[in-house]
Amino acid sequence: MKTVTIMAGVLLVFVFVWERVDVVRLGYQIERLKTQKILLERERDQLQVKFSALTAPERIAKVATEKLGLVPPQQGQVLMVHLPGEAPSLSLPPVEQVRLARQESIGRERE
Amino acid sequence: MIAGPSRGRRYVLLLLLLCGFSIILFRLVTLQVLQAAELTAKADRQHQKTVSFEGARGMVSDRHGKVLAMNVEVPSVFGVPTSLESPSTVARHLSPVLQIRSNELEKKLRQDKSFVWLARKIEPEQGRRLEQLSLDGIGVVMEGRRFYPKGPLLAHVLGFSGMDGQGLEGLERRYDSHLHGEKRVTVLQRDALGRTVFPKGLAEQAPTPGHALTLTVDEVIQYIAEKELEEAVTHTRAKSGTIIVMEPSSGAILAMAVSPRFDPNVIAALTPDRWRNRALTDTYEPGSTMKAMVAAAALEEKVMTPDSMVFGENGQMVIASTTIHDHDRLGWMTFSEAIQKSSNIVAAKTGMALGEQKLYHYLQAFGFGQRTEIDLPGEVNGLLKTPKDWGRRSLASISMGQEIGVTPLQMVSAVATLANGGVMMKPYVVSEVRDQKGRLLKEVRSQVKRRIVSPDTARTMTTILEGVVTNGTGTKAAIPGFRVAGKTGTAQKIDPRTGAYSSTQFVGSFVGYVPAESPRLAMIVIVDEPQGEAWGGVVAAPVFRRVGEQVLNYLGVSRDDTVKIALAMRDH
Repeated sequence: MKTVTIMAGVLLVFVFVWERVDVVRLGYQIERLKTQKILLERERDQLQVKFSALTAPERIAKVATEKLGLVPPQQGQVLMVHLPGEAPSLSLPPVEQVRLARQESIGRERE
Repeated sequence: MIAGPSRGRRYVLLLLLLCGFSIILFRLVTLQVLQAAELTAKADRQHQKTVSFEGARGMVSDRHGKVLAMNVEVPSVFGVPTSLESPSTVARHLSPVLQIRSNELEKKLRQDKSFVWLARKIEPEQGRRLEQLSLDGIGVVMEGRRFYPKGPLLAHVLGFSGMDGQGLEGLERRYDSHLHGEKRVTVLQRDALGRTVFPKGLAEQAPTPGHALTLTVDEVIQYIAEKELEEAVTHTRAKSGTIIVMEPSSGAILAMAVSPRFDPNVIAALTPDRWRNRALTDTYEPGSTMKAMVAAAALEEKVMTPDSMVFGENGQMVIASTTIHDHDRLGWMTFSEAIQKSSNIVAAKTGMALGEQKLYHYLQAFGFGQRTEIDLPGEVNGLLKTPKDWGRRSLASISMGQEIGVTPLQMVSAVATLANGGVMMKPYVVSEVRDQKGRLLKEVRSQVKRRIVSPDTARTMTTILEGVVTNGTGTKAAIPGFRVAGKTGTAQKIDPRTGAYSSTQFVGSFVGYVPAESPRLAMIVIVDEPQGEAWGGVVAAPVFRRVGEQVLNYLGVSRDDTVKIALAMRDH
């Protein structure tokens, strides 16, 4: 009985020590992951700035005209096609509608 | 028995032990009780690191979510002069990386301070090179830097923020309370090697970023406006230019372009003159564009009808001892024709027929002499004197767009009212404010300011203003396939040296809307001090056409003939 009690006591001490060590180990792991998260977020932001700069209308127009030799559509070259039964659109898509559409497309990408 | 001397030695030994223990006890009390607070704090300073975090400044995007301004973490370099052995050597190493002169850096590093900034918010690549150098006494911290990825696009509206992240100009200033991130101080635990373990209270560490703004502006429309304005200003060798594109039914600003442009990423060498948003901070005498509002008032008050016959006095009329001229020797004509030909004399007569009080009432109603209350900083009232301060010629002058100072924004808002059936809308540029999780905090809806004229008057004015473009002074604003309504304006500027109207300095403008039957765009184009021909119909109207044509194409607005094609297809 006495031996069992001593062994249980020793085991408890070991569990306690193991738990303390593990807490410290997990602490380091959390810190590493947090640093990784910060670095990834920083990279994401830098890429987003780059993406925004590369998709600037001014740059796209420059590439289109100077590199690809495209020209803006001239008078009479743009034709809006309205399918039978569809009224010609005369209003801007409301901001809310555009936002919802964007969210849907982002949602689809995630899926 | 122990002899006497041996007993003495025992006492000595006991005394020594007592002394030893007393010293230990005293030291213990000193450390654990008397100096406890001070030492605990010292230990905390070694084990803990206090770091101040500031949440990232909120993002600004256009109506389709395209990013116009955002924060990115970039390195900032500091030095600890007190720990440097050879500041000159360190400065020599740093100089090529930071691209700052070595002697400048050395001067900073020789200061008797424990912390100096050497360069803030540098490029990430420079930061990487510095880390490779691993110089003692030189450190790198990350700070949020504001980036405007589209460069000069919309710069006058966006404004910019300062080195410490505070909004200084434009939207950055107006919405600073929303945009700036939360500042929070966090305590980090460090182990014996100085590594951060984890903070006390994990939830506390991430400061909340600022709120994000969504604008009513469309970056493509803004680009078209800026491109065409730059071309016009360069071509006419003008001093500056402004274009505002507004949605008449809501007051939403789709584009606000000012030339010359500036890049908000590089503002150090610029003066306020360059970043001032002239669309709402500068006033000008509008000249003939004002006749549209005077005519609307006359129609509303039934002082005139479109077919009223008016006499142009053969191009010359004396009012209050001064002579008013028209550009042509105009005789009898209808009121509509007089507006289309932009007759000063008929405008003066119309003003006089309305009388001081009514004219003043309508000018105020159209928003002149007061701010539009757009959500941008720096807007001015313009200049509209009260009738008691008017001179003998004022009634005639104001009716022709002289003796009155307006901002481009006031003028486009007034004309957008005619496009919107006589109802004035409040102009605005921010449509939504969202928190970092995308939750909507504030949604700005279009806001009616007041009805100024009846729908009938607005319709009649549209017909008259369409005539300006088909038969009058604004033919160069015509967009094939669309009905355009608008008015030209050419105003002499006041020469600051003489105080009289200059014969060489003009402001050419065109303000109008399209498609006239169901307006999608109201737009003003102003070219300030063009060289050579300065008529609004020559310098500004073509810009209206070019911007209007591209924007309508972009928005997919059907041309008159396109609708016919679609209907014809349906019949088959």
